[in-house]
Amino acid sequence: MAIRELKVCLLGDTGVGKSSIVCRFVQDHFDHNISPTIGASFLTKTVPCGNELHKFLIWDTAGQERFHSLAPMYYRGSAAAVIVYDITKLDSFQTLKKWVKELKEHGPEDIVVAIAGNKNDLGDIREVPMKEAKEFAESIAAIFIETSARNAVNVEELFQKISKQIPPLENPEVDSNESFKLTRQPALSTRRCC
Amino acid sequence: MAFSSASGNPPSGLTDRSGSFFKLIDTFALEIGELKKEMVQTSPTMDKEPVELQGLEGEVSGVYLQSPHCGGVGGERDSGYDSLRRRMSVLDRLSQTHPVWLLLAISEEKANHILLKQPPGVFLVRKSAALQRKVLSVRVKEDQSETPISHFPVRESQYTFSLEGSGISFADLFRLVAFYCISRDVLPFTIKLPEAIASAKTQKELEEVAQLGAGFWDSALCNQRRTSPRPCRPLSRTLSPQRTNRNREVGGSQQRHTTYCDSAPPTLRSHAPPPSFHLERRHSSGPLCFVNPLFLQTHHHHHSEDHSPSHAVKSDSDLEHAEKSSVKPLSSSEGSEQHADKIKLNGKSRPPPPRPPPPRSMPRRRPAPPPPGPPAAATTRPKSMPEAVTVAARQHQSPSRRPAPARPPMGAKHSSLSKTASSPIPVPSNPPPPRPKKPDLEAHRCHIALDDETIAKALSRAKLPPCEPPPAVPADVLLENNARGSSSPNERGRQRLSDMSMSTSSSDSLEYSQSPGFSLGLAPSPSRHLNHQEPVEDSSEEDEDGEEDEEEDYGVGLETDLEMRLRPSFKSRRRRVGVSLSGGSFILPRALKGRFRKVSGMLSSLMTPERRAVKRIAELSRDKSSYFGSLVHDYISFVQENRGCHTSGMDFLQTLRQFMTQMKAYLRQSSELDPPIESLIPEDQIDQVLEKAMHKCVLKPLKSMIEVALHDFQVSSGAWQQLRENLALAKTKRPQELGVDGAVPPDAVAIEKIRHKFLNMRKMYSPEKKVSLLLRVCKLIYTIMQDNSGRMYGADDFLPMLTYVVAQCDMPQLDTEIQYMMELLDPSLLQGEGGYYLTSAYGAMALIKNFQEEQAARVLSSEARNTLHQWHRRRTAQRSAPSVDDFQNYLRVALQEVDTGCTAKTLLVHPYTTTEEVCSLCAYKFKIPNPENYALFLITEDTSQQLAPDTHPQRIKAELHSRPCAQIFHFLYRRVPNLNLCIPAVMQNGNCLQVE
Repeated sequence: MAIRELKVCLLGDTGVGKSSIVCRFVQDHFDHNISPTIGASFLTKTVPCGNELHKFLIWDTAGQERFHSLAPMYYRGSAAAVIVYDITKLDSFQTLKKWVKELKEHGPEDIVVAIAGNKNDLGDIREVPMKEAKEFAESIAAIFIETSARNAVNVEELFQKISKQIPPLENPEVDSNESFKLTRQPALSTRRCC
Repeated sequence: MAFSSASGNPPSGLTDRSGSFFKLIDTFALEIGELKKEMVQTSPTMDKEPVELQGLEGEVSGVYLQSPHCGGVGGERDSGYDSLRRRMSVLDRLSQTHPVWLLLAISEEKANHILLKQPPGVFLVRKSAALQRKVLSVRVKEDQSETPISHFPVRESQYTFSLEGSGISFADLFRLVAFYCISRDVLPFTIKLPEAIASAKTQKELEEVAQLGAGFWDSALCNQRRTSPRPCRPLSRTLSPQRTNRNREVGGSQQRHTTYCDSAPPTLRSHAPPPSFHLERRHSSGPLCFVNPLFLQTHHHHHSEDHSPSHAVKSDSDLEHAEKSSVKPLSSSEGSEQHADKIKLNGKSRPPPPRPPPPRSMPRRRPAPPPPGPPAAATTRPKSMPEAVTVAARQHQSPSRRPAPARPPMGAKHSSLSKTASSPIPVPSNPPPPRPKKPDLEAHRCHIALDDETIAKALSRAKLPPCEPPPAVPADVLLENNARGSSSPNERGRQRLSDMSMSTSSSDSLEYSQSPGFSLGLAPSPSRHLNHQEPVEDSSEEDEDGEEDEEEDYGVGLETDLEMRLRPSFKSRRRRVGVSLSGGSFILPRALKGRFRKVSGMLSSLMTPERRAVKRIAELSRDKSSYFGSLVHDYISFVQENRGCHTSGMDFLQTLRQFMTQMKAYLRQSSELDPPIESLIPEDQIDQVLEKAMHKCVLKPLKSMIEVALHDFQVSSGAWQQLRENLALAKTKRPQELGVDGAVPPDAVAIEKIRHKFLNMRKMYSPEKKVSLLLRVCKLIYTIMQDNSGRMYGADDFLPMLTYVVAQCDMPQLDTEIQYMMELLDPSLLQGEGGYYLTSAYGAMALIKNFQEEQAARVLSSEARNTLHQWHRRRTAQRSAPSVDDFQNYLRVALQEVDTGCTAKTLLVHPYTTTEEVCSLCAYKFKIPNPENYALFLITEDTSQQLAPDTHPQRIKAELHSRPCAQIFHFLYRRVPNLNLCIPAVMQNGNCLQVE
């Protein structure tokens, strides 16, 4: 099976649980043999999808405002972006909208956008109604899911949904391997005058 | 030399030390090859294992004992002929004639067309368009297959090549093919070199053949030779017991080494002290083969499939299917005990892992195990040792290196078994216990073959006597050895072979022996190293440090290796081979150890294919008579002389990156790399290898100049001053003020440590190595953060902390370092972990650079944002392949003045720039006040020719470079006596400085 590396960028306010989601996703199947990580801000996980393997290279970003300007470096080249908000913090949902806008304007063209409302285990202090978030997601054709990193709810599903939206590779480009050898230019154009 | 052995050896032979090891190997290979061929001839019923074995047994003893001078036994042996042949191993023949059989570009139809006219066994290697893989196309006997041509797909795993369905893998295609010329493994029979190649007696003949390229197949040479029967050796010679007599060996260093296998009982031999390897290290082409250890599967196929070419596919369309079906479970029909034994033996030996084990496993490292020498060698060895040491010492200027430790005297081991056994082995005495292994079938199938071992291994495999105890268990081995001691001469020969197989196997194989459950399919995983290797990415990266300095002295003596292995902290990529070989050997009884040592000695004398390829490219880049070499040379000169033509550091780095990318593309397409890199490096590794080579060829010579240039740009733009001010300001901030929330920051000691790492980073020229050091810094920061809290921190915490650390380090130079990495790192690495942390470092630095502004506005300046966007676009766009034309744009032109002599400049000259334009460029560059009096001349050794205004100097250069015999030439800009450009070429001596 071919392994496809997919860069996934995590966006969202600080404290909404971006890295918790990834840690949950990655660590539930923590394999000491394949996790070459320095720290939790960059994690990878490989999941099967159809007849491909998707290796997610997950780039976490710092959510603080002061780091906002660095975000383009993180989302450039991403196949997908997961924008996380905290269902108990309306502000974080507003920030999410800003991210969506920025991605539309500056992000990679065909980036898959997923919206994750985290901390759905704290439903009783919810500030962002699920319906509103869902409608917003639909309006921008984004994946929507509410998750709980703490209780491992929907984390796997989030990434499965992303996987499914990644367009399958076209037939592995049949680059003409009738490899030609580069021959040096012949034709010596030196000529003697007169 | 080490191998000159047997007591009966004439002392004179001992003086010939150099290269004898190689000859030994080649001799083995050659002999094996011939023997195998004979075997095929003599036992047409190949399917019957016993027959084969019997024949082999005889053959084997013959291999080692045969001396050309006593060839009379067989009567039919022509010693002169043989000795000639012996000079060229199968591998040599293959390597030299690859233009004939390595036809990657031809279609299946064409291949079929060629092979149909050939006798069974003749083959070629091509690339299947349908499968996108290389395939070995073989002419098969009509009665063995439905179609006359079978195609066997080649599997390229991370580091090796193997035939689909086989468990034996090889460092490169040549070795693979050489092996199958000797052992059929998964093939229906061994493949055959075309007669003209197989019977060529001289280098020259081979060259003639090679010159024909694919045309060989239609040539008279091919057809005429085919009819002449190959001389075949009588089996009897190999069977004759008296051959085993050591005394028979006379003269001829090759013969001498061959003896070693035969001369000493295995136990003795195993203690052979390391011979000095510095000599053979000079040879870049390794010996033909050792066998690659893991091959459980092979045997199964071997026996269970009745030699049907099950892996062969009739055509490309079937390939895919065949591929699937060819992978059989290991446990498939295990035929006999004999097989099992073999398998154990084979399984026991394991290919060394591609990467060195992480530091923690290093204590296990032993000094390099040199090939064992026969007792008589004792006299020579001591001599060679000091020499080796000095060589090593001379070449190692790296401060981290200590002079190589002296080896134990060679004689010691010969004196007595017990003595040698107890002789100190420079190994940590308390090796760590073996790690638990887990079954890993895939790994078992051994992709990670080590270089050159394969053939010997196959040989040994084939020769294993049916009742041989599994050497997998150390104790058994000892027993076996003892038992052997009393065996008949014939058995001895055989046994030696098996010894050899053991020795060829890597000591890692010990891990197998540790596992009681090891039998067939469920062998303990050889992937221990792999397991280590991956998770400890960062630690393995440590290896990179040392390598920087080491790369140069690759060809140094073994002593260095020895020494490195003794020092756990020493990072050397070389360990890949040596270490992994010795790793694990601690479990072995000493007797066995020796064998392993000798083997790994052999192996460590070889480079990994990657290193070999990089080295080859580096050599090519220094060869100015090659087109590639001249391009690199011209570019480097250009850069050195024309720093001013770049507008910024970034611009400068971009052109460098572009050049490297272009040269990579050129190397992939051109035919200058001989043999083609596809035959040495698996497809998916080629880019990495080329990248590495480019770092070495381009970045290394330019590193200091780049540093200076970047710094100058910074200073002149005022960025340096601003950065320093902002750093100073940021340094006064507490972690909280930089956004750190909760996590514990590194203390002063840790900061100092990090600073030190950053300083080390500056010493590297390779962007990848720099990044690996950066990763270690990040790891350290993470460790500090986590140690104090136990929680996992994401970017919300890490990035502010990194910013804090960068500020505390207060190293403005870090900015150019980051720039260097950002711009020069291989684009394919930008998405991974290295890319991530590099981006973070860049971000942290960007924040600091804009610290004052940020304080004011709390956001980055729009300018900074734009920069980031541009960078993104640029680096992403760069992935598209460059055109080959772009890099041919440098021309070195010398100015000859009567009074000042010669000065030269490298100019940017496009292929279609005319001489006229070059002249005006020269006038400008050389500041010639009266350009109308000057013209461009092409100077060769004995001619000087004025170029017409409408000619194209670049094309002339290309033409000159492409001539078969390289000529020294220069472009010279100088005054013409006559203003008329249309005068006949002025003939005079071009006695100016060599500028090319």
